[in-house]
Amino acid sequence: MKAIDIIKVNKNYPGCPVPAVDNLSLAVQEGEIITLLGPSGCGKTTALRLIAGFEHPDTGSISLADRLVTGPGSWIPPEKRNVGMVFQDYALFPHLTVQENIGIGLKKENKMQKVGDMIGLVGLPGLEKRYPHELSGGQQQRVALARALVRNPVVVLLDEPFSNLDTDLRTHMRREVTKIIKKAGTTAIFVTHDLKDALAVSDRVAVLREGRLEQVGTPSDIYRFPETEFVATFVGKSTILKGVIAPDHSSVITAIGTIPCAHTHNLPSGQQVKVSIRPDSFELDPQGNVRGIIRETIYGGNEIEAILEVHTKEGPVDLQVHIHPEKNIKVGAELRFHVLPEFVAVISG
Amino acid sequence: MAEKQSTTLENQTAPYLPETLRGLSRFRLFIWRGNPPGFVLELITLLTSLVMFIPILYVMVRGIQGGQEKWLALLDARIPQLLWNTLSLTVVVSISTLLIGVSAAWLVNRSDLPGRKIWEWLLALPLVIPPYVGALSYIIVFGPRGLLQNLLGQTPIDIYSFAGAALVLTLFTYPYVYLITGSALKRFNLHYEEAGRMAGLSYPRIFWKIILPLLRPAMGAGFILVSLYSLADFGLVAMLRYTTFTTAIYYQMGSFDRSSAAILSVVLIFITLIILWFEYRTRRKQRFFQSSGTYRKPSPLPLGRGLVPSLLGIGTVVSLSLVLPLSVLFYWSYIGISRGALDSRFWEYTFQSLLTAGLAALACAILALPLVYLKSRHPAPLSSFYERLAQAGYALPGVIIALGMVFIFNRYIPALYGTAVVLVLAYIIRFLPQAMQAESSSLNQVSPHLDEAGRSLGYPPWQVIGRIILPLIRPGVLAGMALVFVSAVKELPATLLLRPPGMDTLAVRVWIEASEGFYEMAAPASLLIILVSALPLKWLISRF
Repeated sequence: MKAIDIIKVNKNYPGCPVPAVDNLSLAVQEGEIITLLGPSGCGKTTALRLIAGFEHPDTGSISLADRLVTGPGSWIPPEKRNVGMVFQDYALFPHLTVQENIGIGLKKENKMQKVGDMIGLVGLPGLEKRYPHELSGGQQQRVALARALVRNPVVVLLDEPFSNLDTDLRTHMRREVTKIIKKAGTTAIFVTHDLKDALAVSDRVAVLREGRLEQVGTPSDIYRFPETEFVATFVGKSTILKGVIAPDHSSVITAIGTIPCAHTHNLPSGQQVKVSIRPDSFELDPQGNVRGIIRETIYGGNEIEAILEVHTKEGPVDLQVHIHPEKNIKVGAELRFHVLPEFVAVISG
Repeated sequence: MAEKQSTTLENQTAPYLPETLRGLSRFRLFIWRGNPPGFVLELITLLTSLVMFIPILYVMVRGIQGGQEKWLALLDARIPQLLWNTLSLTVVVSISTLLIGVSAAWLVNRSDLPGRKIWEWLLALPLVIPPYVGALSYIIVFGPRGLLQNLLGQTPIDIYSFAGAALVLTLFTYPYVYLITGSALKRFNLHYEEAGRMAGLSYPRIFWKIILPLLRPAMGAGFILVSLYSLADFGLVAMLRYTTFTTAIYYQMGSFDRSSAAILSVVLIFITLIILWFEYRTRRKQRFFQSSGTYRKPSPLPLGRGLVPSLLGIGTVVSLSLVLPLSVLFYWSYIGISRGALDSRFWEYTFQSLLTAGLAALACAILALPLVYLKSRHPAPLSSFYERLAQAGYALPGVIIALGMVFIFNRYIPALYGTAVVLVLAYIIRFLPQAMQAESSSLNQVSPHLDEAGRSLGYPPWQVIGRIILPLIRPGVLAGMALVFVSAVKELPATLLLRPPGMDTLAVRVWIEASEGFYEMAAPASLLIILVSALPLKWLISRF
């Protein structure tokens, strides 16, 4: 069953020239965790608020668990949609205790038991009587999650849930939140601009740009095989080169040589294309066919990010490469690399 | 799949809404910028704002329809003199309050004046003395049959004059400027002054070149508040027998020349609008001037040779605006009470004051809520428009509101005319904006995400307001009620004009006894009004 079915939704804000959401269609399966990923202002939060019912779309329809909630002439208000929401600032009611916050939307019967179960699930036993200001950031987030999950919602929506946490807690909470949602068996939509959040928590990632869906896929598909230049450069780093599909259909002829490519979309040989090469595809190799001079290095601890300048017939080309941190690389050194096909993809646009 | 979906979609929605209703809901979406409020909520708001606005509109219509002849006659004979009287008083009072308010604020906040903390409080206290009560105490001391006349056979000033009115009005309105500039000085980012020092400026130059220009928005706000007050004041100028627009309108109504009263009202509304327009402009500018404060205390500046004059100045202001009126009132209250002023009739006035003011406060707190909620949670031109309409009574003199009520109730609802209902409604129209301000500043501190969290947890909007918003903004609601209550207890002109025959309030008694020279009877009622006004002092001061 589809938990969420968004069909051709458009949303414009008056006085704003660019649509906030532009012809968005997206289906989410029950129990799936999907992330809307994009730079700020790309419309991902608007999309979330359209699902929750805090915004009206101009056109298009949204169904939750096969029930039409937004469509031409029909409208179900947020309180009747049974959608859970975790806000960026958590929006815990400051005048209510943890217990009361979680139980506020429940009917009398079994209320205490449901609240108790939820407090157990999110790991907050003992804090039932505390007020939100007496909790740490991570605890507040658990309460917000419990409150969103306790009514067995069709879907739980999480708006930038990790952005208020420091780095250590963030990594921990990514794992915890995913675990709790999976245990509850709920469908979830995250919204984030943080690549690591998206790749870590999602079954699938939907990349948005200026209100349009650029690509949907598993985290590894999105990373390994970006379909557009925007996805290639927004989801991680990438070098974009022009080229032509080679006769063997599994490599691309570019200015820096013939690059093996695992994702050519079965395009015919001779077709003009662009190709995205992740820095991880370059491997130091004294016999490699890509030769250039190191122009810049940034030492990142687990890797060295470097820019390699390669001279070609069409002038110098800068490549982004990753080098193993044990190597002692100096700017100006001449190095050779070979290219692994796994992180090379033909892109459109 | 998509096709199948769209057919089920049509099946579902076709019987839902007829085409006209669908068009209407699309139109509402458009004017509310995609975020329409509930229909009932909007209806309540619309009705409230209309009721708030109609009396004023009616006065203007009647004034404009007053007839060419009357207009020309008034323009020829009365209006120039009234304009001169009113505007000169307004300008002189505004400028003198600015001088007193800013220097006092600077002295208690930035200098090494001995006893700064105590002075700081004493200087704010005249705020709780209604200017007409202040005027009463000055009549008692400086009047032709007053204390000084009896003791010395002469008085230093003629209290029934321009100078008298300007002096007394200044003494009881400077706290507005003082509190606004004082709070701006407290929030002042000290880095500006330190940067001035680094640039090699001496303190006087820092004061003139940095502090004063940055205080300009606060000073402007205080100046405008005092000007509006001077324009609208009735009790003080009437007691000191100085004729301005408000007293002229009042006496025209007394002689049943209501169309002349309406014409004069139109002119006064016009002047008020001009000042409000200035206020709107300074408030817009203030946003750019807003500076985040540092949390260090500034080191007090030694006054040196300025110490004695400063102390004398502050002492004079406090004596004239606080010590003198309070001691006079206490003295005459003592005499009055010993002669039996606190009889059963006195408690009847008190009860009637508290009852009408209490009803008005309760009604304002309730009526303000939908207006404020709509403005904060559904921002759109339409919600701002409702808010403006509802605030039409803000800053307008009580006599004009009363005139509008007389017109409307006389003509359309005569059954209620001359009942306390009309009086309470007049209080609501005048003071609803105070409740709105208090509630909206509370509501703006509550994140809209809390509303949305409530909605997503299954509460319809009215339950969100009742169970989440109301408990969170309770302090603001109470503060708003207290402010309205106090203003209604002090209210004089509309009460005089609209009270049912035989129903007196404290303020009315002060007025009547004072005009007949029974000071010992007026003093206890005055003291009680001051006492009631002092109740929400904490909130009054924190508004600035």
